Amino acid sequence: MIRDPYRLRRRSLFAATAAAATVAAAAACGDDGPAGTADDPIEISFEWWGDETRAGITQEVIDLFQSKNEGIKVQANFADFPTYWEGLTGRMASRDLPDVFQMDYSRLRQFGANGMLLPLEGVVKTDDFREGFLDTAKLDGQLIAVPAAGNTLGLIYRADWFEANGVAAPAAGDSWDDYKAAIGTLTPALGEGKWGGGDWAAQYHFMELWLRQQGGSFYTEDGKALNFEVAKLVEWWGTTTDLYTDGLVPPVETTIEWTEDGLVQDALGSEITWDNFMAGLAPTVEANGGTLALAAPPSLDPANLGLYLKPSMQLVISATTEQAEAAAKFIDFFLGDPEAIAILGTNRGIPATNAGLANIEIDPYSQAILDYEESVSQYLTTPPPAPPAATGAIEAKFLEIYQQVQYGEMTPQEAADLFFTEAATLLATEQ
Amino acid sequence: MSASPSTTAPPAAKGAGARPAPGDRGAAKRRSPISRRGERLVGYTFMTPWIIGSIVFTVGPMLWSLYLSFTDYHLILGGEFIGLDNYTAMFADPMFARAVKVTLVYVLLAVPLKLVASLLVAMLLTQSRRGIGFYRAAFYMPSLIAMSVGIAIVWKALFSTGGPQDQFMSWFGWDGGGFIGNPDVSIIMLVLLSVWTFGAPMVIFMAGLLQVPGELYEAAEVDGAGKWHRFVHITIPMLSPVIFFNVLMETVHAFQLFGPAFIIGGTAGGPAWSTLFYTVRIYALAFVDLRMGYASAWAWMLVLAVGVVTLIMFRAAKNLVYYAGEDNK
Repeated sequence: MIRDPYRLRRRSLFAATAAAATVAAAAACGDDGPAGTADDPIEISFEWWGDETRAGITQEVIDLFQSKNEGIKVQANFADFPTYWEGLTGRMASRDLPDVFQMDYSRLRQFGANGMLLPLEGVVKTDDFREGFLDTAKLDGQLIAVPAAGNTLGLIYRADWFEANGVAAPAAGDSWDDYKAAIGTLTPALGEGKWGGGDWAAQYHFMELWLRQQGGSFYTEDGKALNFEVAKLVEWWGTTTDLYTDGLVPPVETTIEWTEDGLVQDALGSEITWDNFMAGLAPTVEANGGTLALAAPPSLDPANLGLYLKPSMQLVISATTEQAEAAAKFIDFFLGDPEAIAILGTNRGIPATNAGLANIEIDPYSQAILDYEESVSQYLTTPPPAPPAATGAIEAKFLEIYQQVQYGEMTPQEAADLFFTEAATLLATEQ
Repeated sequence: MSASPSTTAPPAAKGAGARPAPGDRGAAKRRSPISRRGERLVGYTFMTPWIIGSIVFTVGPMLWSLYLSFTDYHLILGGEFIGLDNYTAMFADPMFARAVKVTLVYVLLAVPLKLVASLLVAMLLTQSRRGIGFYRAAFYMPSLIAMSVGIAIVWKALFSTGGPQDQFMSWFGWDGGGFIGNPDVSIIMLVLLSVWTFGAPMVIFMAGLLQVPGELYEAAEVDGAGKWHRFVHITIPMLSPVIFFNVLMETVHAFQLFGPAFIIGGTAGGPAWSTLFYTVRIYALAFVDLRMGYASAWAWMLVLAVGVVTLIMFRAAKNLVYYAGEDNK
């Protein structure tokens, strides 16, 4: 009689223990940390933005690094640019950043000003960077990133289409009107579904270029406000209005569906963009039977192209990493190892180290980028200070609000007013 | 785990050994207070992961976001208590009106269309035909996969310029291209996606339809009522509690549409903010603009709005819903 309750109780105890064990098992338990040998390797994570092509060569370099450093395993992950940043900003809040990750100049302040990035002075090798390059990796005097590569804006164009239609090749010092005229000639000549160039007004980087050509800048020196008037933005958005209404650039209904660049789809004849994109675009265009060339973007002032050498991307180490040494080793390898440099080529831009320049495998496209940067070196001016943390959101807003203009939902004036309101709100959130 | 002790305990353990079954039951009755407590302990212990889960991942974050909605919390910089400022700012925010409009248009289009579609199909599927089980499964299938990323991508392809929708409609003189790039009609894509996934309300409608007593139809038929009259005067009233339930559930769901809208229109609700759903805007505020406090206020405003809509529906239902048996009181 009496045994049954006891048995029951014991049974419940067993069951409770089993359940508790299940719960405990669900919470992963830590260990003493890896030894850093081939059997018990240190694991570091490395994340970056890019596409499949970049993924292939990056993995190749990682494999090479692992074979040379047996005690370190690199866990790589990548996403496209907007997705990458949406993910990282969320993870920043939970202090869950990868050990090493790719940084963009426009986000440096956002991450750096909050102590998310490990100060790199004395951690990574800094003796081999090209002149002036390290300055853009510092925030308020402290080195928190290293430039992986550099780039600058350029005009990539279909040399074959320009020549076949008797349009003079773009050159440094050409005006925006010259470029407009070229598009105006090309588009009708190319026929249905092809355009001489794209609508450049949607990109905040190009407006920044245009402002710099007038001696201005996008943000004020302290990065707390926009450094131009509403009227200026209306004027900028107006620079392509006639091209757009005449159908000389592709309509937004078309471009919104593009998942690839217009150049590789044989749909665009030219595009203002970062010069290192040349290396990615040219092989496909060549396979399509075309030729790409690279020239300086148009300017308001032939003596001032507004260009500056920007770190196309930087590498940073998370401040919360437990493997700073291994992370630094990986960065040094990524930027300085001759074999790694040969594999990476100019996919991320022209290498930022002298070793990089010396060991880069020069294919014709990389050569074109090098030649271009050489040709505009006299025009390169001081880079603007690292933009405010909200710049990523402001960039997105710029595109989004200009789309209203393209769809005819808003006049440029209404859109510009709205942009200023939104930008002011975003800039205010971080003060 | 062994089976219950009352069945496995060997007879020897019972002392006398030849005790008949009724005594066994008596023993079970006497020990029931302890046994119940014990079983409760086991039950709760096994539930612990889910209890912890719902506190840590649902209730906790909700309360936290309620608090955040009264702060200017920035995802990285933190924030301070600002009272109701977020809630007042919302009404001055031009994006608020847009997001509300897009969401309301969607709710008003998607919910009725989906319910009509699901009721029609449910009526077809309650007939007894050969292979009806297959059809039921087939019609339910879309709702299992529709909210997946894959389907949203397929949808994007279907409605791109030159895609199936564009080609089909151009036979009838349509020249608006794909819905993807056309802000006037882009929301229709999402409405159609929702209508296509009528599986859940369909199953509930089928259950309701099978409950309607056949003699009501027979009586009406004897009285000379046609199909339409039988539908309006018998099916609809008898089904009204089920209809009410489905309207409620679908409305609440429609207000919260996020996944497909996010994949098709992106954080900017493209093209031209035509798919800027309320939830998409919350996401953009939180994870692009990093304004967690303000985004939380938006989220709680949605909770409030859905609550009010639900309340109104319950009030309205008092006069519209017929519960069989209650009229006798």
